[in-house]
Amino acid sequence: MDAPLLSVKDVSIAYKVGALDIVAVSNARFDVPQGSIVGLVGESGCGKTTMARALTRVIADNARIKAGQMQFAGQDIVSLSEKDMNSLRWRDIAFIPQSAMNSLDPVYRVEYQIVEVLRDRGGLSKSAARKRAVELFEMVGIDPGRLRDFPHQFSGGMRQRAAIALALALEPKLVVADEPVTALDVIIQRQILDQLRSLQRELGLSVIMVTHDISVVAYICDRTVVMYAGKVVEDCDTATLLNEPLHPYTMGLKNAFPDLHSAGTGILTPIAGSPPDLANPPPGCRFAARCPFATDQCRVEEPMLTEDAPGHFVACHRAVEAAALREEAKQPGTWGTAA
Amino acid sequence: MNSLKPLLIRTLQLALVLWAVVTILFLMFRLMPGSPLAAYIDPTFTEEQQEALIRQFGLDKPLWQQYFTYLVNLLKGELGYSFRYRAPVAERIWLLLPNTLILTFSSLIVAYVFGILAGAWLAWRRGSRVEVAALPVVLATRAMPEFWLGMVLLAIFSFSLGWFPAGGTRSAGTEYSSLWALYTSADFLSHLALPMLTLAIYSQGLPLLLMRSNMLDVMKEDFVTMAKVKGLSSYAVVVRHGARNALLPVVTSFAIAVGYQLQGNVVVESVFSWPGLGRELVAAVLASDYPLAQGAFLMIAIVVIAMNLIADLLYTFLDPRISHA
Repeated sequence: MDAPLLSVKDVSIAYKVGALDIVAVSNARFDVPQGSIVGLVGESGCGKTTMARALTRVIADNARIKAGQMQFAGQDIVSLSEKDMNSLRWRDIAFIPQSAMNSLDPVYRVEYQIVEVLRDRGGLSKSAARKRAVELFEMVGIDPGRLRDFPHQFSGGMRQRAAIALALALEPKLVVADEPVTALDVIIQRQILDQLRSLQRELGLSVIMVTHDISVVAYICDRTVVMYAGKVVEDCDTATLLNEPLHPYTMGLKNAFPDLHSAGTGILTPIAGSPPDLANPPPGCRFAARCPFATDQCRVEEPMLTEDAPGHFVACHRAVEAAALREEAKQPGTWGTAA
Repeated sequence: MNSLKPLLIRTLQLALVLWAVVTILFLMFRLMPGSPLAAYIDPTFTEEQQEALIRQFGLDKPLWQQYFTYLVNLLKGELGYSFRYRAPVAERIWLLLPNTLILTFSSLIVAYVFGILAGAWLAWRRGSRVEVAALPVVLATRAMPEFWLGMVLLAIFSFSLGWFPAGGTRSAGTEYSSLWALYTSADFLSHLALPMLTLAIYSQGLPLLLMRSNMLDVMKEDFVTMAKVKGLSSYAVVVRHGARNALLPVVTSFAIAVGYQLQGNVVVESVFSWPGLGRELVAAVLASDYPLAQGAFLMIAIVVIAMNLIADLLYTFLDPRISHA
């Protein structure tokens, strides 16, 4: 097997709030294989966006990458000098933000913003950059006649497409997409995801797709990394993750979303409770308080992320019993009693 | 693009405002105590002479008729006849207006260029010692009365150090071939320095604080973060995307500042004996020279209204969301 394009190893990222150090991502570990779409999934505050932004090293003023490595095409993003990191930005690692409206500068035409990055970062001449902007718009399915528009003249879907065009401008190796379709209605969501999928295949891109929506993961991701309270709890190919999850959180997450493929019972079962306070994380497994299968060991000893089957990583003490737990997890009653 | 219609509407609105100002001015001077002619009529005049004068100025006519005549004259560009100078008001105003405009705009431009740059810089250096030290100083300059600041500058730079002249626009006995030659002479500029500096110090706080706080907000916007993620240079991030967006409300404040400045001029022109409209206005009111005071008021109102129109136009040019809505 080829070496992965990106290999995140034991990365911890903390926010300093007053005197407190809030560890939003702790010991995260996952790989992004060349030419695949990897989903980074979890609920709000689980650290997925912090993790994604850390890959560009443009993080909040009070955030700091405290430990770990992010091996990207032979370089460690964490230890690169600012100058080398900046040369990596957008040329090799591009970003698609959640809110394309706010990520486009309102006072410049969309064309200018694409040309800007092509000239400043890609070294293209003005006329070459303009030609490339037309190509990019055609590629993402927007009429190039709209290039001279201002961002506010675009619809939500068009803005998101423009953001994709912008991300692909310099033919990056890796595209980090932070909830790229969350703000859109389901029909446009599907169009954008299809577009992204076909462009990814065509260009041989690697994509990290940050989302809280497990149906997006099911639709587009080759591999999926599940995060909970700053930790990676499960990481494997998407089909296995959805059919034979090993971690109780993944099982619960599946119950909490409508199934796209079967009519099902139509009853959604939420996971009771809320994630722990990251300023003061509990000992043991962070999911223990909400887990219907938690044992005394879970509340004391923290489970490590281990490779349970080839390519299937999980951090759960009871992973060996997963088959039985999965059956139990299908009963709605199982989740109601969790404290 | 139909950008002409809003412009037309805006111009009509401002014409309406101007008409209201004109009307208020007309009524205001007629409500003031004492006869408008008190300053003009010598007590030694005979009864017939006095009545002849009142007829001559049209003051025997009913108010509505006077108002009508006044409007018609204004449309013809006639502002009346100064009691004190025994000369047309318009002539006097045209003589003084350039001095006021030069003082106002030179001080405002200095204040805004400095304020915008310093504001953006302080926002960039947020939380640093420089910022902590600079903010109280800026607030102090905002709190100082202009006349006091003017007197302090006069005391230091004119009376003690003798670097700058104490008042007026030129040294006694100097002659210039044209107004242009006067305004570009070193003599005029050294006379301009202190009053200009006074007004500039007084006015730089507004654009500075406004720019700083806008900049702090804009730098948190997603598009600025994205500019960083794109790996653009700090110049592009801070100036092209940050400052360019933060500038919008500052531009509007410029037009408002012109209004304030003309009001500030009344005080500063008096302190520095600067022969401008503001000082003339004070003198005219004191001397009950109503036509002249009325004309000076009107001229100031016209400048303020015109600046508002210019700010509107500039804003549509700077913010595409307005012109392309």
